[in-house]
Amino acid sequence: MSKTPDPNSTGASGSKSNREEATIKVPSKDPKKKDDKKDEDLSEEDLALKQQLELYVERVQDADAGLQKVALESMRQEIRTATSSMTSVPKPLKFLRPHYGTLKGNYEKMPDSDVKKLLADILSVLALTMSAEGERESLKYRLLGSQGDIGSWGHEYVRNLAGEISQEYGKRQSEEAPIDDLMELVQQIVAFHMKHNAEPEAVDLLMEVEDLDLLVEHVDSTNYKRTCSYLTSSAKYLPGPDDMLVLDIAYTIYMKFEEYPSALVTALYLDNTQYVKQVFTSCDDLLRKKQFCYILARHGQTFELDTEMCAEDEERERLQEIINNTKLSEGYLTLARDIEVMEAKTPEDIYKPHLLDGRASAGASVDSARQNLASTFVNAFVNAGFSQDKLMTVPSEASSGAASTSWLFKNKEHGKASAAASLGMILLWDVDSGLAQLDKYFHSTDTHVIAGALLGVGIVNCGIKNECDPALALLAEYIDKEDPSIRIGAIMGLGLAYAGSQNEQIRDKLTPILGDSKASLDVLAFTAISLGLVYVGSCNEEIAQAIIFALMERIESELGEPFARLLPLGLGLLYLGKQESVEATAEVSKTFNEKIRKHCDMTLLSCAYAGTGNVLKVQHFLGQCAQHFEKGETFQGPAVLGIAMVAMAEELGLEMAIRSLEHLLQYGEQNIRRAVPLALALLCISNPKVNVMDTLSRLSHDSDSEVAMAAIVSLGLIGAGTNNARIAGMLRNLSSYYYKEANLLFCVRIAQGLVHLGKGLLTLSPYHSEHFLLSPTALAGLVTLLYACLDMKAIVLGKYHYILYFLTLAMQPRMLLTVDENLKPLSVPVRVGQAVDVVGQAGRPKTITGFQTHSTPVLLAAGDRAELATEKYTPLSPILEGFVILKENPDYRDDQ
Amino acid sequence: MGQGTPGGLNRQLPGDRKNDGDKKEKKFEPSAPPARVGRKQRKQKGPEAAARLPTVTPLTKCKLRLLKLERIKDYLLMEEEFVANQERLKPQEEKTEEDRSKVDDLRGSPMSVGNLEELIDENHAIVSSSVGPEYYVGILSFVDKDQLEPGCAILMHNKVLSVVGLLQDDVDPMVSVMKVEKAPLESYADIGGLDAQIQEIKEAVELPLTHPELYEDIGIKPPKGVILYGEPGTGKTLLAKAVANSTSATFLRVVGSELIQKYLGDGPKLVRELFRVADDLSPSIVFIDEIDAVGTKRYDAHSGGEREIQRTMLELLNQLDGFDSRGDVKVILATNKIESLDPALLRPGRIDRKIEFPLPDIKTRRRIFQIHTARMTLADDVNLEEFVMTKDEFSGADIKAICTEAGLLALRERRMKVTHADFKKAKDKVMFKKKEGVPEGLYM
Repeated sequence: MSKTPDPNSTGASGSKSNREEATIKVPSKDPKKKDDKKDEDLSEEDLALKQQLELYVERVQDADAGLQKVALESMRQEIRTATSSMTSVPKPLKFLRPHYGTLKGNYEKMPDSDVKKLLADILSVLALTMSAEGERESLKYRLLGSQGDIGSWGHEYVRNLAGEISQEYGKRQSEEAPIDDLMELVQQIVAFHMKHNAEPEAVDLLMEVEDLDLLVEHVDSTNYKRTCSYLTSSAKYLPGPDDMLVLDIAYTIYMKFEEYPSALVTALYLDNTQYVKQVFTSCDDLLRKKQFCYILARHGQTFELDTEMCAEDEERERLQEIINNTKLSEGYLTLARDIEVMEAKTPEDIYKPHLLDGRASAGASVDSARQNLASTFVNAFVNAGFSQDKLMTVPSEASSGAASTSWLFKNKEHGKASAAASLGMILLWDVDSGLAQLDKYFHSTDTHVIAGALLGVGIVNCGIKNECDPALALLAEYIDKEDPSIRIGAIMGLGLAYAGSQNEQIRDKLTPILGDSKASLDVLAFTAISLGLVYVGSCNEEIAQAIIFALMERIESELGEPFARLLPLGLGLLYLGKQESVEATAEVSKTFNEKIRKHCDMTLLSCAYAGTGNVLKVQHFLGQCAQHFEKGETFQGPAVLGIAMVAMAEELGLEMAIRSLEHLLQYGEQNIRRAVPLALALLCISNPKVNVMDTLSRLSHDSDSEVAMAAIVSLGLIGAGTNNARIAGMLRNLSSYYYKEANLLFCVRIAQGLVHLGKGLLTLSPYHSEHFLLSPTALAGLVTLLYACLDMKAIVLGKYHYILYFLTLAMQPRMLLTVDENLKPLSVPVRVGQAVDVVGQAGRPKTITGFQTHSTPVLLAAGDRAELATEKYTPLSPILEGFVILKENPDYRDDQ
Repeated sequence: MGQGTPGGLNRQLPGDRKNDGDKKEKKFEPSAPPARVGRKQRKQKGPEAAARLPTVTPLTKCKLRLLKLERIKDYLLMEEEFVANQERLKPQEEKTEEDRSKVDDLRGSPMSVGNLEELIDENHAIVSSSVGPEYYVGILSFVDKDQLEPGCAILMHNKVLSVVGLLQDDVDPMVSVMKVEKAPLESYADIGGLDAQIQEIKEAVELPLTHPELYEDIGIKPPKGVILYGEPGTGKTLLAKAVANSTSATFLRVVGSELIQKYLGDGPKLVRELFRVADDLSPSIVFIDEIDAVGTKRYDAHSGGEREIQRTMLELLNQLDGFDSRGDVKVILATNKIESLDPALLRPGRIDRKIEFPLPDIKTRRRIFQIHTARMTLADDVNLEEFVMTKDEFSGADIKAICTEAGLLALRERRMKVTHADFKKAKDKVMFKKKEGVPEGLYM
């Protein structure tokens, strides 16, 4: 028990008589027997304490101000020093409870003085346990009190006060009463919280009183990271426009503490070019700027540096080169060499037929053209970016000199287009040698080969920008050719090469096609999508108008075609992630022919709210899916995909959406069930979750072949680039199960190719930077493919299988490549493990779990995080993904 | 046993739908191979894995957590709305009912209970019934093959003996008995003194289950378990009872000697089973009384029985802090011979807190006397202080014995009140027996 200074030590004789009087008096004052009994239960010390406190209460009612003050002081002392178990009320507070009313009455009677303020302070603390719900007396007396150091009463008090403030704030807001006194208190509380490692509480309070700006003053170098991580992770769950506000504050704080890479990432999330520029202008360090460029490059954002951001021409050029991704191929090959997977793989290596029972391999060649086409795709996906394979790029001087051409001509007609384009995929990102190797096909007489070559050019340039725009120069002249396949090749090539660039030349070239009434519907569809890709998320009015006119002018019968359904997608891509901006266009779309109207509406909405996690939109889509129709309606497919597109933003929504999709499977009609596997694929892209895998595996045996096909392709998508052995095994079994059915087998093969995408070095996930940023072009590519898969038979299994190459947009190496100050690869040890959510946790918790130590370059699986295992270097970006520049740590001293 | 729903039915509907589809198609199609054969997914048991909600990460009470929980709630509301709509449009009930009766027809009645010996391929297995030989039989397509594993109890068709279902309720009946269904009457209020001990056990056992965020806030892992030790009769079991009384968590209680079984390997199996049930029913508290029955120090054992006991302890060690992490399972051990326990059992990480129960001091003694005499009619001359202040060493149980003894003496003389003399006599009697070396605890 804590011994407190006796308030009566001034007069010894007085104290004795006083105490006796009190002890005698108090029991007699309690007439209730119950209380008496309670007293008996108390131990001696408690009883003493209780009597002491009762004495103080007595004194406070005394007329003498001095005596009052002494009593209050000691009462305060008693309360402050009390400690107890975590859950029970401190004893002094418990014993003072019965006197709360008395003290309150006393307070009212008191004249204004310091003593009165002191009493108000104590009342404020007492109200912590006494005050009725909603009374907010603690706050009331706090405001009346002496306004002293707030922390001296303990955390619980401050916490309670914060809660009352937020209630009071709400009330005063509605009454439009002044809030100045409240804000003063908020200041104190925030300062207190920030000093005591309670950043989340400080942020919560400021959010309640809508004054986050205050935060900027109170953060310091020790707690800004935790504060910002709390802010940024809250942003995903806050309703707009609060989320933008919160991120704005996070950006400001990052800028204040010169944490530029994080500031840049936040700026990119906000999609605020001004902020991005500001990051560049405020940082002087060239090396750090290079790191910024790597971040921008990964995001797939086209960005032009100007003199303000980097004064020197030569340096600016070097920086721009990084943004243009010119070194991506080099880095990727470094990774491949380090992991020793340069050896080209044949489709047979992927199929692994020797692991199957006899029958599959025996009766394999049902439709050999289809099989060869599948092999072409598998070969392209597996060897993507490696610049070598065993079908397309076999050196011409070798004995099998004609092999390369012969493989090309093992494909039939439109198959040749995909085969020629696959060369582009193999040489992905390597513009110079890619163009050189594709060149030979331009001299072919076969229109399909030329079309494929044009597409190949687009694929090679995907995500890479080049000063002299070779893709545009090569492709532009073919756009207006007569042959529709060449036109499509050129148009799609442009779309891939310039996705997200908002290149005006392309707009000028492509928009006329939309107005051309003679152009066939497929050309139109590819034009719309290419324009959508180039101007993804730009809300460009002009293009939107062009697509709308095209949709309106087409005759009714054409609008039922599968390709007509891709036109609205082109429109939707223009508004990807732009939320409300879509509304005007959505209104216009309501006037469309009823065949396409609903479909268009769903597409626009799902694109506009993609990656926002907006629950209301999910509800809207679910509502659409709840309807049943006699005849299969087409708009429900996009609605199902819309659920996935909206919900993929954050982990919780994602998991809950998977649950909702299970319900759709249970109740939905066939057209909905066909879309569900694709939606699951989008939710778990390149992230093979076991439960989703099981669901898809179940659906892959569905009696409806379209559901089965969608499920099979989705299996490939969720395992894309992971080399997941379990999915590979499932697909192998499926290949023997469906060995007689050409269509399904084709899907199985494609899925197998996807699982081994880039021999397991690539990912299709549009999310990067620790699942924070969403690359719009990558998402656009994925969505386009998924829309095509909604009508598998007409598009992917028909003549337009090259639509699969839209996946190129989403392909990114899933690597961590550390480079030194000269941007040369540098091998350092890193720990790689499952990322742990550490937001709002105390102390310095582990950010990864179950880690292994490797040396860079390393692969990062979905949900993995890396951290440096050496002190020798410091990374220039806190997010260890993609290219990271390391600087020598000046403080590092070798142990030896 | 036998109440478990047969596996094939509580799966999602699409599976059933698929079977319908298969029937329509004339040509033979091999049914889909199961995702895996032979081993059961342990983790996904208990509440269905699909129905489990995602975990929400900051355990601290903050706005972020609130927002996340609200997000989950929103989705659940949407699900509810959707399902309600669909049910209105297309009642699922009838359809399931129909399917169910179809399946029941196929199953036949009665079904015999057998044991799955071995899985041969996707559709065949070797089974045995309690009597007679083993059979090679088919597995019906609606049986959930994911859950079949060798050794599990299955339902067989009465004539053709094919596998038509499986019995899922495989909780060892020995363990289900340990669950405390009816909370004991003793509460914290019935404990005299022991304030520090109560606080410790609350902090170590109750708070981690009710307020995990407090530990998260400060950044520590809550203690996993406590051991209560002290002289006989100092209230160890009483305190455990009070914990069981006050908590809403599942309370499993075992006595150490129960873990010793007749057959080799049964003891460790029981321990495993116990903790598995605790995990399934988490949050839960496992109370093992008289742990010294199995937890004594390891030594060179000569008899198989001793070795078996040691193996049981080793299993206990593993369950307390082994490879698999225990979730919300707290362990309370009680013993009065802590020095004889194996040190591995007591190391931090297994049992983090050791709570000593001393003989009551004067204050506590007074409290205990008060508790026990509260319902007795005492004569006016009774002065309990005399007993409270005495130099003799009493445990809580001794005091209870004195009170009871005094009451008995009064009864013997047909008095309605217990006098001071009664107490004196009772005390002498109790102390005499205690001193005489009569086995402790045998008071009357």
